[in-house]
Formats: sequence, structure tokens, C-alpha cells
Amino acid sequence: MVFFLLGRAAGAIVTLFCVSALAFFATALAPGNPAAVLLGNMATPERVEAVTRQMGLDQPPAVRYVIWLRETLSGNLGTSNLSFKPVNELLAAALPPTLQLALTSMLVAVIVAIPLGLILAQNRDRWWSGPTSALVTLGISVPGFWVGLLLIITMSVWLKLLPSAGYVPLSRSVSGNLRSMVLPVVTLSIYLVPPLVRFVRVAAIEVLREGYVDTARAKGVRPSSILLRHVAPNTLITTITYIGLQLGVLISGAIVVEVIFSIPGIGRLGMNAVLNRDYPVVQGVVLVTAAGYVLVNLAIDIAYAFIDPRVRAR
Amino acid sequence: MSAVVQTRRRGNAGLLRFLIRRSPLGLALVTLFFLSAVFGPHFAPHSMTDTNLAMALQGPSAEHWLGTDPLGRDVFSRLLGASRVAGQAFLIVVLIGGIAGTALGLFAGGRGGLIDLVVSRVVEILQGFPTILVAIVIVALLNPSLTNAMVAVGLAAIPDFARVSRSVAIQLRDREFIQAARGLGAGEMRILWSEVLPNMAGPLVVIASFDGAQAVLWEASLSFLGLGVQPPDPSFGSMLREAQNYLAIQPSLAIIVGLAVSGFILGMNLLGDALGDYFEQAR
Repeated sequence: MVFFLLGRAAGAIVTLFCVSALAFFATALAPGNPAAVLLGNMATPERVEAVTRQMGLDQPPAVRYVIWLRETLSGNLGTSNLSFKPVNELLAAALPPTLQLALTSMLVAVIVAIPLGLILAQNRDRWWSGPTSALVTLGISVPGFWVGLLLIITMSVWLKLLPSAGYVPLSRSVSGNLRSMVLPVVTLSIYLVPPLVRFVRVAAIEVLREGYVDTARAKGVRPSSILLRHVAPNTLITTITYIGLQLGVLISGAIVVEVIFSIPGIGRLGMNAVLNRDYPVVQGVVLVTAAGYVLVNLAIDIAYAFIDPRVRAR
Repeated sequence: MSAVVQTRRRGNAGLLRFLIRRSPLGLALVTLFFLSAVFGPHFAPHSMTDTNLAMALQGPSAEHWLGTDPLGRDVFSRLLGASRVAGQAFLIVVLIGGIAGTALGLFAGGRGGLIDLVVSRVVEILQGFPTILVAIVIVALLNPSLTNAMVAVGLAAIPDFARVSRSVAIQLRDREFIQAARGLGAGEMRILWSEVLPNMAGPLVVIASFDGAQAVLWEASLSFLGLGVQPPDPSFGSMLREAQNYLAIQPSLAIIVGLAVSGFILGMNLLGDALGDYFEQAR
């Protein structure tokens, strides 16, 4: 158990280290001198050279990486080339909307998808199971952001029920916040629900073939109670790992959804930064997002080890 | 999705008959997709990039079958161009993911030992890593373009191919025909190349189909964000990006483009399911 967890933690640290190197070198080696960009077109070559030296850009990349890593670890992520604000501040301001969007959507997806998957597995021989599974395949094939556009057309343009864009902070207005989050959360859930339903269905069908399910059935336990007490818990164990794998989809989806609905979150910050070559912000966004991804996966691994004794024995 | 070893060989005609019976819709959509990707741009009724503001945002008509976009360009012609771009996205992703992933998995599964341990762990870490972060880093380093965006998606496809080819290689490693080849003096690399690899064609085709669907989806997403295809070139993503500002004025634009891209992705997913069933059955 201890070895298992230490191994996982070591893996997480190595991954984060690789990501940090990737984020740094990709932006440090990009064409164009940031000092020249910073000073604008009118700067003299001498001035550019001075600022280049002042920013430490004349050092070899490896040295710059070590300096950058030390700064980053002490919590200093630099300043934006665009707004000249500290990257820390920009990230801190962008984090709450993103977290609210991602967590709510994941919660909605889990609440919808797990019962649906279990029911589909239980009734896999009924006539409606085929068409429903086809609907799930359709759901996997439809781009989530297009569904977002369709929701804007129907809910905002035609029915005028919900706002089509913008974000109201929770601190300003609770009802306004909820109204502004409905369409984004529904859109992001649509990224997550179909694959999750599919996974839960397959996992539950496997569990339904186990001997203990036959035993329970032979004892005369009601089917609904077999599903809840025997199938659901054993399905959920494997589903937790799958949710970890879906985290990448959640992050990618959240970025697209933020752009569609103009939510001032991490994703929109990152997209603006990458399209305007604002490298310190790109580094910050990549680093924070990757760290979130790695840490949540580590937490899932640990939770998994506590829930399922078979993992601990490995 | 379990990796499956195909041992009984049937002809291509048998496969085609199975697919026609099992998934006519998937086969039809994928055929349509490839026809329009290969030949579509030659038959486009109008220019894909010439603008005409006097004709902007029209609904479907006899002249413009699917209407016109905000710059007055013919949507049908641009969709034909977009399907070629999606086909290119498919090729880039399947080539990168397929070659690198299969090579890694084949090597790891076939040789075992420390190589296998390292490759498996790396694949496990890479699997599920947010594709969009890789895309952001690559685009920051180079610049936004279809190839750069799709390289990120291709890298993300490596774990899928590696996982499947590794598990097939492990299943095959100690089979009689491999031992026979070894007994005849074939080297390990030669065994992997000419004995193991041909036997994993089936599962790899299934993965290629699913990852091809993902490639089209990602092309649309990344070009929508501005990381992929750049205007004025047509692609599903860039067309949806342009359509987004006119949802209130001409919603049919976003609806038509989205239906087209969804149809192609659905086709490849359905075909992937059917191919999976076929190779499972062939066991």
C-alpha cells in the first residue's frame, strides 16, 4: 500500500516536472525575442539588448529554466506581456468560474450517467435498449460545442429564457450566477455523459455476469435491490478510474465552453494568451491546468486504493 | 474494448458484406465522407474563398444549395473543402498515433521486461492527458495551423494504439507459430515485424476508426478556438467559429455545418463499432 502510493506520487511529480519543462521550453524557444516584443517597434537595438540582458534572456535555455523553475516554485509566475499584470493575479481571478463550471458539470454528468448506465445494463434485452444505445453513440459523435451553439439558438435567441454569454460572479448575484451557468454546464455535461453511460453500461454488464449476482437472484432478491446493492457498488469502483481518464476531456471541454459562452475563466485566459503570444500567461495556464489534472488523478488513485483492497495488494 | 486476435482469415468481400448488413448507415456516411474529401473540392459549384458581401447570409436557394456565409461564400462548396481538411486531420492523427503507438506497443509487448514496464507506465500517464494543453503548447511554439493542431491530437492517439498493440503482442508472444518462427532462426525484430504485426491488423483498424472520429472532432474544436485552420480556408471548426456571431440572424448556418461534422463523426463511430464486432466474431 505504502509502496503503491509512493509510486503514484513519484509518477505525479515526474509528470509535473516534464510538463513544466515542456511549457517552459516550448515558449522559451519560440521565435521572436520577448524583450523586443515588450519594447515595441520604436526601440533601439541597444535598448533591446539591455532589456534582453536585464530579463536574463541572454543566458542559455537550461540556466533560464532553472531560474524560472525556482521562481515558479516560490510562487512567482511572472507578468503578462499583454496586460502587465502578475500572472498569479490573472490566474486567481480566472480560477473560480472555471472551477464552478467544471465541478458542477462533472457532478451533473455523474448524477445523470451512472443511473442511466446501470438501467441500460439491467434492461439490455428489452426492445428499447438498442435505440437508447444508438442515441448514446449519437451523443459521442456530436461535438459538444455545437450542442452549445444549438442551445444558444433555442434557449437564448428563440425562447429568450437564458443569457447566451457572460458570467455573473456568485458574490454579486446568486440567481444571476445560476442563470448564467445553466447553458455552459449543460453543454459541458454533454461532453461527459455519453462516454460515461457507455462505460458504466459495459462495466455493469460484466458485474451482472458474476456468480454472486446469480446467487442473489437464486435467493429471490428483487432485481432492483440486486442492482443497487451488488451491481452498483462494484461498478462504481471501476468507474472512478474512468472518471480520472475523463478529466482530460473535462479540461478540454471546459476551455471550449468558456470561449463559446464568454466565461472569464482559465480556458479563455489561455486561448487569448496563446493567440497573442503572451508566453508567461501561457506557461501559467498550462502549468496550473496540468497540476490540477495530475493532482486529481493522484487523489483518485489514492481513493481507489482505499476503496478496493485488491489494488493495495498489488 | 478488448483487443482481439484474428486467427481465421476471411476475404475482404466477407468484411464488406458484414458491414453492409451490420452498419449500413455507418458505411454510407464514411463512404460519403471519403468521396467528398477526395473528389469534393473538384466538384464544388462555387469558389470556397471568394467573398461577395451583397450575397451574405442567405438561406438555401437553387443557386446556393445550403445558403451563404457572413462573407457571401457558398456554404455547400465550403463544406466540400472542409471535408477534405477533416480527411487530412484524420490522416495526420492516424499516421502519427498509428505508427508511433503501434511501434511502441509492439516492442513493449513483444519484448517484455524493463522496456515493457517503462513504456506501459509512460503510456498510462499520457493516456487521458488533456489534448488541448498539448495543442496550446505546440501552437505557442510554432503557429496556428491544421498540421500543428493535429500533431497534438496525433500525440494523444499514441496511447490508444500502444495499449492495443501491446496487449495483442503479449497474447501472441508464446503462440506456436511464433515459437516455430523462432525455432527456424528468425530474429526477434523479424518476428515482431512479419509474424506479430500482421495479426493485429483487425484491432488496429478498429482503433483507427475511433481515433479518426476523434480527429475530426478535434479538428472542429481546435479550429473553432482559432488554433487550427485559419481564415479564409474552410474547415468545420472555422466555419462554426464564423457562424457563432450570426446565431441570431442566420441560425441555419451553424445548424448545417454542425450536422455535417456530426454525420461524419457518427459514421466513423458506427463503423468502428461494427468493425469491432466483426473482428470479435472472427475469433
